[in-house]
This record gives sequence, C-alpha cells and structure tokens, in this order.
Amino acid sequence: MKRSKRLLLSRMADRIGKPVGAAIAGSVLLSACGNNDTEVQVYRSADDCRGDNPSLAEQCQASYQQALAEAAETAPKYDLRQDCEADFGGGSCVPYQYQGNSWFMPAMAGFMFGRMLDRDRYINTPVYTSRNPYSPYYGHWSTANGYRLGKASYGKRMPVGKEALAPKPKVTRTISRGGFGSTAQAKSSWKSSSRSSSRSWGG
Amino acid sequence: MLRVSHKERPHWRAQAERLGFGFHTMYGEPYWDETAYYRFTLAQIERDLEEPTAELHQMCLEVVDLVVRDERWLRRFCIPESQWQGVLDSWRRRDPSLYSRLDLAYNGRGPAKLYENNADTPTSLFETAFWQWLWLEDNVDAHWLRRDADQFNLLQERLVARFAGLAASRPGRRLHFACCRDTIEDRGTVQYLEDCAREAGLDTAFVHIEEIGLGEGGWLTDLDNRPIDWMFKLYPWEFMFREQYAAHLGSSRVEWLEPMWKSVLSNKALLPLLWQRFPGHPNLLPAYFGDDPRRAQLDDYVRKPLFSREGANISLVRHGELVAEVDGPYGEEGFIVQAYHPLPKFGDNHALVGSWLVDDQPAGIAIREDSGPITQDMSRYLPHIILD
Repeated sequence: MKRSKRLLLSRMADRIGKPVGAAIAGSVLLSACGNNDTEVQVYRSADDCRGDNPSLAEQCQASYQQALAEAAETAPKYDLRQDCEADFGGGSCVPYQYQGNSWFMPAMAGFMFGRMLDRDRYINTPVYTSRNPYSPYYGHWSTANGYRLGKASYGKRMPVGKEALAPKPKVTRTISRGGFGSTAQAKSSWKSSSRSSSRSWGG
Repeated sequence: MLRVSHKERPHWRAQAERLGFGFHTMYGEPYWDETAYYRFTLAQIERDLEEPTAELHQMCLEVVDLVVRDERWLRRFCIPESQWQGVLDSWRRRDPSLYSRLDLAYNGRGPAKLYENNADTPTSLFETAFWQWLWLEDNVDAHWLRRDADQFNLLQERLVARFAGLAASRPGRRLHFACCRDTIEDRGTVQYLEDCAREAGLDTAFVHIEEIGLGEGGWLTDLDNRPIDWMFKLYPWEFMFREQYAAHLGSSRVEWLEPMWKSVLSNKALLPLLWQRFPGHPNLLPAYFGDDPRRAQLDDYVRKPLFSREGANISLVRHGELVAEVDGPYGEEGFIVQAYHPLPKFGDNHALVGSWLVDDQPAGIAIREDSGPITQDMSRYLPHIILD
C-alpha cells in the first residue's frame, strides 16, 4: 500500500480542527482533586491578604510584590491595546515599556497566596481573568503559562496542582517585535487589489 | 493517467468545516473539487513520478553543494552577502530538512518534466496528506471505489515519523511554528504540521511571523518571551533575508525548518544551473538565466522571476509573442527562462502534479487543475487513485 495507515488517520482526526489558544498558550484545566494539591487563595491586593491573614502580614506584602514583578515579566504582551482588551476586557490592560518599546499587557487581577506543601515558602503566582464574556479567559483564573484554575472569585480556598506552580520555563526580556514580516506586508497591498487576495505566502 | 468524473460525497462540506478545512471554497470558487479524480497505474506512479522525484531531489542537492561555496553563484541567486556564511554553515552542518514539493508536468506517458522546486514553503499539505486520503477511505467504505484502489500518499505517516526522529535527538526542546497573520491557507498548513508534531510527541508553540520578538542575549522570542531555539516557519527565506531581523539570524541560535540552505532550492536560478550540470536529462527542461545569450535557442519559453509564488509574474512567450501573463508583485531580482512545455490537458483542464518529499524520500502526490496554462493559487485541487 502506498498510503498512510488507517490507524493514524483516526488518531489525527481527533487532533485536527481543535484550535490551540493564542495569547496564553494551551490552556490546561487542572483537576481539583489531586492528593498533592496545595491550597491557595487569590487576593486582589496585599491589604486584602492581610485582612484575611493578620498573622502573615509580612508574607502577604512580599508575595504581592513578587507577583507584581513576575507579572511584568511573564504576562502576555500585545502591540495594540485593543487586541489585549479583546482577550481580557475593556479597561483591563496596562501599558508596559522596556528599553524604548511599548506594549500592552493585562493588569494582574490577583495573586495566589498559600504555603508550598514541601517547602517553607509562600506562593506568589500572578493570575488573570477576563471581563469580556466572549473571551476564553472569562470567568476563571488563568496563569501566564496557560493553567486554568477555578472560578474567578477572591479569597475562596481552592486546591492547585504542582504544575501550575512550577517555575516558568526560561524567559528572556523581549526588546522589540516585528522585525520579520515586512516583505509580506509590502507585497500584500498588491495582492489584496487583485483577484486572489492574500491567503498564502507558501507556494 | 485518466480524469474520471465522480460523485461528490454528500457530507464533505460539513466534514471539512468540522476538521478546520475552511478554505475548501475561496472567494466563491471551488478549491477542493471531488467531482472528478485522476487515476494512475502503479507503474506510472513508481517509474514516472516516484523514482524521478528521488533522482531530481539528489540532483538539486548537488546544486546546493555547488552554490553555497561559490560567491559567483550566491550572487547569481540574489542571496544577500550578509547571509552567505549562514547558508554555507547550515549546509556544512547538514541542518535537517522536513519536506519539499517538486512541480511536474506529466501526461501519463514519457518523462515528467520539472517546472520548479517548492523546497522552502510548500503548501497544499493538509489537502494532500489528510484530506484526499480521507476522500479515498470514505469512497472505499461507501463502495463507490474498489477496495484495491490505492493512493500515493505516505505524507502523514512520513511527517509524523520525521518529527519523531528529530524529537529523539532533541530532548526537551520546544518546536515553535510560525506563519503570517491573515493567511487562512498558511495557518491551516501550519496547524496541520503542528498536529503532526504533537502526534510525534513534540512540545510545540505558535507565534505569528510579525509577532516574533528580539530578546536580550540575541534570542528570538515568542509572545510569552520564551526564547525560540527551534522553529518551523512558513515564510520564505528570500523575504527573511531582507528584513530587519536578518542581522540577528546569526546570533539567534535558532535551528530552522526549513534550513537556510533551502534558500538555494526555492530559487528559480536553480533551473538554469540544473540544466547546466545535467544537460539533456529527461526530467529537465532547458533553462537559462535571462541575460544568457544561449536563451536565443528557445523560441517558445516561459519567463519566471527568481522569486515568485503561486504563478505570479510568470509570462509565456511563443515565437517571440507574449501569449499569457500573470501579474504580480515579484520580479525585481531578475528572471530566468525555461523551455515551453505545456501542461497536459484533460478536457478543458490543465493538470499539474505536485510530488512531495519528506526527509529526502518521495512521499506522495497532489494534482492541481487550472482552466488557464499557468497554475495559480486559486487552481483547483483534485484527488487521485492508483488502480491497475
């Protein structure tokens, strides 16, 4: 036989046509019933955290500040405010500047707070949610590396698996974007005025 | 090789939508067309298409070996001087390639003739590897085609195997995929390749070409600021070489699919050089650079820009007269001429055979039809079968 085997067809058919998330890659829904889950609460601010945990005022402050710093680094960045707001809702995005370039990123909606099970350390991962009911991020907390936690509600205890807390893979600071693609843009002005408008740069 | 009229599967449009094949009809005109199929014998496939494809590919690799180490040729191919070292290095390292498609004129008898090599950014992959395959399976299941009807289409299996092979020597590496914004067909091709890579167990990510960033340390980055160290790009090298980040290609440490040496093959300058190295080869058409006096030997010829896609800026000249022309945005880098060898006609349809390779091995074919003599991006795609 000179064609691919049928077994592969059925496996691939399950994959094909399933879109993969764009800004926050590959959203993974964490099961909330694992045995090794850590319990966290999401707080909007250090004050809210302190109000709930008066004996942990110092930890609340430190976690909040670390979460803010991490958010600046890891939040998805957009060239246009409108693109960011389409994902996270009107008024949810803030400018971000670095070395003369500027982007928009979702403002941190809150930060996870809780003690790591196996270490004497407090969790401080920033989380996001969307105000746009048509966005995939609407209604629940998401982390920058794509983990989806529970329903977006402040101060509620919820279990969270290790995966969501694992350190983000090595990142670097992006200095600029848009250094590729200009030729396609220049040639597409010709294409769009012709019969066959831009649909492929392949051949 | 026959063109056979055939019934359309009643459910195919709904099935296409479900599987994300949204571009089966473009601008009100059919792109996927199953009101007919092409029928080949096994000998036609193996002797006339598969074997010549393997041989032509090896001949092309010989040309790469010649061009990458010769400044005269690199200049002729309009590869910018700043990229010569990178192209040579990628060839010396034997950076692995993924896939290619040779476009052939073949009428069922005699040798297939090479029109060009889409070695860098071939498309119509999903239609070939998955969709025409599904068409055959459905037709056999419905008893509309005989159970022993076969198809030359190992593409999907070979792609998954190729990704698995590459993954094995790159543990923990993430493969980024990229294409331009607002290109529905390219996004479909890249999504399909990403599906194949994931099937092979690879960790993948996607970023639009325009969104690629330049990070501290010279890395290219995705939208999550993750460094990109391995990337499949459905975007031509000849574009990338002339853009702002071209200066950072050397320091970016990206392993590219397709590799940089493919810029020699996707270039029409390949055609005169092939003819010069292998004059009279049965699968080649005479071809010359536009400024070569020997081109006067060709009375009927096709004029092709060094860089052109989807048939753009191609003109057809017979007895010194322009008989057909496709407009387009290409051509500033120069032209080549290739002897006129019309596509075979089946009824009113001109048929072109796309012959695919994965990892240097022939892997399947695709048929495109056009009512005109020059195949373009709106040409229809038809399935094929093998039946003796």
